[in-house]
Amino acid sequence: MQEYRISELEVGHSESFASVITAEMMEQFLAISGDVNPLHLNEPYAKAQGLKGRVVYGMLTASFYSTLVGVHLPGKFSLLHSIEIQFSKPVFVGDALIINGKVSEVDERFRHIVVKAGIKNQNGESISRAKIKIGLLHE
Amino acid sequence: MNRDEIFKETQEIFRDIFDDDELEIEETTSSETVEDWDSLNHINLVVAIEKEFEIKFSLDELASLKNVGAMVDLMVQKMDF
Repeated sequence: MQEYRISELEVGHSESFASVITAEMMEQFLAISGDVNPLHLNEPYAKAQGLKGRVVYGMLTASFYSTLVGVHLPGKFSLLHSIEIQFSKPVFVGDALIINGKVSEVDERFRHIVVKAGIKNQNGESISRAKIKIGLLHE
Repeated sequence: MNRDEIFKETQEIFRDIFDDDELEIEETTSSETVEDWDSLNHINLVVAIEKEFEIKFSLDELASLKNVGAMVDLMVQKMDF
């Protein structure tokens, strides 16, 4: 886990990590969220809608933004303030995702940073983008 | 830009930050009179004003402000220099 402090962060600093979506993750997210929409659970139904398989929960993929902030950028001393997310392409079970974040603003007065983040799939296609506002705890 | 114009422009920033197109700010408006004016929106507000008017506040200046009127006075002062 990274432990960046506000004084160590500069505009342009970036971090990234990878994750592969598994069927087990889908089951776990279902158990937490209770989202039983067939688009996420029923393969034939999803295919009938013109998709290549059941669609991974958008908010499951968005949970990686939590990991980006809490573990990688800035890591231990972070306090998530807000996230604005745009989903641009569907994600399917088995997709390998790269989650990236880059610091776009640092405000030492308020111990506050803004990270512009994005997730790409194994084909290099953007599946979502996010603007994340983060507070830095006093270490 | 005169004080009235700055005030009107500031009102637009308030409406944007608090996501309320009908929000009317007054000289006496403060964090005690706007329900959603919490610490995070305070940061959003200050940063948005600084970007729009190309000015910068210090923490001491911000701490001394009692209401919107005082904030606009400080903005006018900064934009004069």
